[in-house]
Parts: sequence; C-alpha cells; structure tokens
Amino acid sequence: MSINTPAMLPRLCIVSSGTDPDGSGMQIRRQLRLLRPSLPCLLQIREKHLDAAALFRLSLAVKEEAASRNALILLNERADIAMAAALDGVHLRESSCPAGKVRSFIGRMLTGKSVHSLESAVKAAESGVDYLIFGPVFDTPSKRQYGAPQGSDALGAICRTVSVPVFAIGGITPENAPLCLAEGAYGVAALSLFTDTVTLPELLETFEKLLAS
Amino acid sequence: MIPSAPFLCYVTDESPSPVDSVRKVLEGGASMIQLRHKSASGEQLYLWAKEMQDLCRMHNAVFIVNDRVDIALAADADGVHLGQEDLPAREARKLLGPKKIMGISASTLEEALRAEMDGADYVGLGHIFETSSKEKHSRPLGPEAIAAVRAAAGIPIVAIGGINRLNAARTIASGASGIAVIAAISRAPEPERAARELVSILQHQQ
Repeated sequence: MSINTPAMLPRLCIVSSGTDPDGSGMQIRRQLRLLRPSLPCLLQIREKHLDAAALFRLSLAVKEEAASRNALILLNERADIAMAAALDGVHLRESSCPAGKVRSFIGRMLTGKSVHSLESAVKAAESGVDYLIFGPVFDTPSKRQYGAPQGSDALGAICRTVSVPVFAIGGITPENAPLCLAEGAYGVAALSLFTDTVTLPELLETFEKLLAS
Repeated sequence: MIPSAPFLCYVTDESPSPVDSVRKVLEGGASMIQLRHKSASGEQLYLWAKEMQDLCRMHNAVFIVNDRVDIALAADADGVHLGQEDLPAREARKLLGPKKIMGISASTLEEALRAEMDGADYVGLGHIFETSSKEKHSRPLGPEAIAAVRAAAGIPIVAIGGINRLNAARTIASGASGIAVIAAISRAPEPERAARELVSILQHQQ
C-alpha cells in the first residue's frame, strides 16, 4: 500500500496530559523544551477541561514556546481555535465534526483523526485526513474509556487497508513500538509515557533511534 | 442580519433531542434559534446544526451556534453566539467573515461596549431576571440595565435570563430588540404554544 505522507510529518506524537491546571501550559512547555532538534514531533494539545477562551490562550502560549523547536502543534477537537491561534493543525476525535466538513474551512492546516475501528479508519481516510491515530493498541489507563486493547493485528489490518499514515496509540513503550512499526504503523503516539519530564529526555533519545531504523 | 425587532430567540437546552422542540418553536413564530448544548459531541452538534439550519431557512428564521465557530462554519449556520469564556470576539469575526452574525453575551455596560467595538451584531444582555436554566451567582441586572446599555451603545440588545410571559413586555419597553429564552419554552407543557404566546406579547408591546 502506498502511503501519501504530507511533507515532513513527524513520526512521534506527544499528546498533552489533560491536566494543565490553569491553561498556562506549564507542563506542555516543559515537554517542548526537552524535545530534540533532531527528532521532529507532533504535539497535540488535549485539555478537555478548559473553555474556549482558555484553550485559545493556551494555544498561543504553546505556539510561542514551539517557535524554536522541532515540533508541529495541533489542537484536539477545536478547528476554530486552532485557526485563530494559527497552530499547525487540528486533531479530530472519532466523534468530532466530520473531517470533510472541517476541511472545507480549515484550508491547508494539518488534519488528523482518532479512530477505534477499521470501519471508521476507512471512512476517515476517505474524508481526506492527513493521518490517523489508531488505538488503543495495548492496555493503558488513559485509553480504557475507548474499549479493550485491540492488539497489533488490528493495527496491521488498518495499516494495510488505508493509504494515509497511521500512528499507534495506547500503552506504547520503547519495547513494543518496533512491533507497531513492523505492522505498518507510520509512527507512535503516547500520553502518559511522556508526562514525566525526568524520564522524557532518555525516552526521546530511544524513540529517535527506533524511528530512524 | 438579525431578525427585525421585537423578536423571540429560543436557546436549546441539554435535551437529548433538541431538534424536536426547535421545530415546534419555529411553528410558534420564533425567528431566531440558538443551538447550545455543552455535552454533545462535535459530530452530533454538526448533525443537529444542519437540521436546524434547514428548518430555520424554511421558516425565514435565523440560526446560530453557541460557542462553536467550527460547527457554525461546517454547517454554514447564519452565525454564532459567544460567551465571555469563548473564543475572543475579534478572533471569531476573522474566522466568520463580515457577513455572519456574531452575538456576544454581556453582563455589564463595559462588556456590551467592547462587544460592539469587536464587531458583534447584537449583545445578549443578562441575566435580566432570576433564572433557573443556568447557574448564576450574581444578582439579576433588572430591565433598567437594558435602558442603560440602550442609552450608551448603538448595538441591538437581546434580553436573556428569566424572561417569561409576565416580564417579556418590560424588556422590550426598556429597549431590547428581542428576548432569548430557554426554560420558558423548554419546560412549558406545549412549547409551540409557549412560543406563540411570547411572540404575541412582543408584538403587542411594539
């Protein structure tokens, strides 16, 4: 299956912890400062508890911090706020406004979508998204609300079916990431794994090696 | 363009099927519908918005979406209504372009004047009376606040908060161009009739 990859789409996606207390983005900015110039990253702001005004302020703060880093910044769910803050893109949930409709006003901004089944992966790919995040592949506390782990076989089936890049999410570790890549994943995404800024530098170094091979 | 004064705007509640009441309220003569649903998914909001926009076109009514500029653009709604905790008005205006309607909630004269400066088409001023629909910790502004904003600002005022059959006329007499209601309709045994009665009161006041 040929993969239509937008130019320079990173292969590592960091999802924010959802625990930014006041919208200042302290935790996200701390993560950004630890990124490696040699490892491009997608950073998805996913702070569901914040209202639109707070998300807008947070987006501006994160964008400013990211200016000198090797990262593309996406906002979960809200294409309008992502546009207003001139972020790099929007990441849609499986239950978000249809991607094709978002495309109609978002222009060339990067548009990704979470999917939890082969059926919705195919539908999303047809609607013109730039990439998909599929999961949960392995077990993880933050993704249990999206059902039981689906395993690397299901990931492989999706990667072989759709022609957009697929990121694996859910319980990703340096140990199981190679299996995801072997199944055809374009990259990996994680939330909890990257929240500890003490272990983050070493993890990023490990993932850089894994993703380069 | 917002409807000609005096008009009735119905704001949807958290009902699992808000389209039903919108259909009835339009039959009853409401000329503006605001989709406001804080717990629905983006996809659900989009589907409701499409349906409500179609219904509103059929009834020559205006359809706006609360908070979600993205949903309004996706469904090609007539506009949006933004609270003080939503996307800043100036940013929203850039996304919406000059033609879409943008309403802004205001609870002070200062907020109303800023909304006008930021390109709002109307302000939703409230809460005017005691209300049960939204948790409010501040005191009601009273209809005299409408007169005060009317005197200082050129922007049309939609009165909101605790408006019902008994006090609707006072808001129009104080200078409001329209009223926005949730509970007065959604909790009425017959929403269509409740809307019809409010519209009739507004028209007699004129």
